[in-house]
Amino acid sequence: MAPSSVSEDERYRTSTQYRLWSFTPTSLLELRTTTNRNAANRVRDAVRRAREARAASSGNTSEVDGGDSRAVSAVPEGEVDCLSVEEELKLVTHFCRQTLQLGDHLQVPTDVKATAVQYIKRFYVTNSCMTYDPKTLLKTALFFATKTENHYFRLTKFAEAITATKPEEILASEFLLTQGLRFTFDVRHPFRALEGAVMELQAMANGQIPGVGELRGMDRRVKEAHGKAREYLKTSALLTDVYFHYTPSQIMMASLLIADRQLISLYLGSKLPPSSANAAISAKLMDALDRCAEMLQSMAPGREQSSEEKKELSALAKKLRKCRNPEKIDLVSLQRAKREGDGEDEKIVKKRKLEREQSAKEGEDLFGPTIQK
Amino acid sequence: MANSPLLVPGPTDHLKATTSKSISKSKLSSAAPSSKGANPEASTKASNAHAPVQDMAEQMNEEEKHKYKKADLEILYCAGKKLGEGTYANVYLGHLVTSPSTLVAIKKIKIQAAYTEGLAPDAIRELKHLQELSHPNIISLLSVFSSKDQNLNLVLEYLPLGDLEMLIKDTEGVRYGAADVKAWMGMLGRGVWWCHENFVLHRDIKPNNLLIAADGEVKLADFGLARSFSDPYRIMTSNVITRWYRPPELLFGAKHYSGAVDIWSVGLVFAELIIRTPYIAGDTEVHQISLICQAIGTPSEDVWPGVSKLPEYTVPEPATPVRGKDHYLATFGTAGHEGVDVLMGMLVLDPRKRITAREVLEHSWWSSDPKPTKNEDLPRKGGGVAKIGEDLKRRPGVLEDERGAKVSRKLDFGGMK
Repeated sequence: MAPSSVSEDERYRTSTQYRLWSFTPTSLLELRTTTNRNAANRVRDAVRRAREARAASSGNTSEVDGGDSRAVSAVPEGEVDCLSVEEELKLVTHFCRQTLQLGDHLQVPTDVKATAVQYIKRFYVTNSCMTYDPKTLLKTALFFATKTENHYFRLTKFAEAITATKPEEILASEFLLTQGLRFTFDVRHPFRALEGAVMELQAMANGQIPGVGELRGMDRRVKEAHGKAREYLKTSALLTDVYFHYTPSQIMMASLLIADRQLISLYLGSKLPPSSANAAISAKLMDALDRCAEMLQSMAPGREQSSEEKKELSALAKKLRKCRNPEKIDLVSLQRAKREGDGEDEKIVKKRKLEREQSAKEGEDLFGPTIQK
Repeated sequence: MANSPLLVPGPTDHLKATTSKSISKSKLSSAAPSSKGANPEASTKASNAHAPVQDMAEQMNEEEKHKYKKADLEILYCAGKKLGEGTYANVYLGHLVTSPSTLVAIKKIKIQAAYTEGLAPDAIRELKHLQELSHPNIISLLSVFSSKDQNLNLVLEYLPLGDLEMLIKDTEGVRYGAADVKAWMGMLGRGVWWCHENFVLHRDIKPNNLLIAADGEVKLADFGLARSFSDPYRIMTSNVITRWYRPPELLFGAKHYSGAVDIWSVGLVFAELIIRTPYIAGDTEVHQISLICQAIGTPSEDVWPGVSKLPEYTVPEPATPVRGKDHYLATFGTAGHEGVDVLMGMLVLDPRKRITAREVLEHSWWSSDPKPTKNEDLPRKGGGVAKIGEDLKRRPGVLEDERGAKVSRKLDFGGMK
């Protein structure tokens, strides 16, 4: 393979962010819908089981199977009122905001916060808030991101810095998180892309390289666009679905476009000079950037939540408490049970041995006895 | 530090210990260690149609798990050869459930009782980077799944022919020449270039992390110390890379460094391939520095501006001037003039002046004579390991040797129209 033969695009297409975590809006909605429906069914089943168990052992003090009796008693009688896809999404976004705040509180670098938020968003594509409480999971995601982004934080110190959090609580859902992430931990962010583009723009402003031609006060405009774009990348890009739909460089360019449309149009023009050959690709690019920018602006940075939104969120949080899967509330105990095994391990070992024997035997049958040398 | 994914086959009797009972094929899949009744054959959608007992994430994991199966051979570590083996993972031989002849190595990450911070950093690093890097000269991660006890299992391509260290050390059994070294260096160079092209530092390049595939291809393995390039304002640890292959900037405690650290290691692998013994093998870090000064020259402000500002900069007196080409030709002359140029480029003291992976690949050495040996003609490890390799090759369907190829062709129903 000659060193020059691989383009940046080709390289990006080998990333897990592209292969596993890029979706069309339709397919993403489909996945979320399936996740939500499955979880709701499971909640109803689990509640039914819990009620049956409680009825069977009424007066008895025995524990409900793997669940939390207090939680079950919190579930009102009658049909469980489960969250909808839209409601789940609102809650996840809310807890992503909280993750950013927790990250600020712990003073972790931007990429750790950004990675943690993407972990949460990715996790809740195939998991539901009704099954795994985002309030707990966000701590695990942030802690795990400190490990994957090489910003080590001692677990005990990490837990101490957060009120009312025990280390085992953070670790209890670490495995669930990694599974939900399909064991892919690399997240490609647009931050470095922005620094690169801004350096180039500055060089153009200083006349070091040819570029956008005459533009009054370009130096100042580049600085301002940089700051504004960075705000979008640090909040809007993380909280919206843009990572699922666009590449890091598209997200970066869209955030710059929001910051200073004229400047960036000239910049893009210097990359793709207007010509009939470039017309189609330019139009396609601008269309993608505009759609990405629109998505980013739906959650502009610094926008305060209205009192209505706050009210809605607290109502959703209340609703979530009433439709939590009772069997998945005490994750610390569940985790311990898994790790220690429940007598199943021995069975599995036996099964495996049988399988090995089978497969070896099968090989023999197919290919005949070992040929003598 | 050296948590190598050792894919070295163990004793042969493990291979043969499991050939007694006969059970039909259909039972093979039903006996899978499935826990919660997800049907491995069914797609996510299909099983969703039934009572959903698992999260989507759990279902996907089940699907991955049932693609591979641990086979009959627990691969043993070569006794006493490596440091820290087994603390991080066990490696098993496995195969594709649908095709017993497609061998894989399954690396089961252990839960370390001593490590109380959750999933250990070496496992995280290896997973994170191998998931992203896909290249013929980097070990491929085929899949990841978790077993019921929540241990992670990495399914890696199976590399049966040992590693470069075994070839280098077997001076009796393995003979090789300049063209062979050039072939191995080419493969190593491309693997390292791909890492750097993707902004990954390997940070543990050494002969026993360079594994050899059945077809002779060299693959960079063990990403337990790897990390992405750091941002300029973020520091990195200097305590990486096995001492003998560790560059001077790390020995001096540099907290900001680049792909040049890996290139230094590559240079020392190159030197070792030629002289068949580690070139700069210090007993301690201080000793390592003094050996570097003797072999290559004393790092000073003259040859490396800024070096004296590094936190742990100390060099023995008197200073040795940086060695010239004649010195290298005397020891490494078999690599040829251009080969020696490449080697010297890799062993430049100042990391900013050291040759880059891209420059290595663009060097005229590759097109000068002798041409690199073709993979199929490369020397292989003789003796015990090769014999096990032979045994493995004789296992059904591996197309390696002629006999196997013939048998396989007869049974290659998939190829029939």
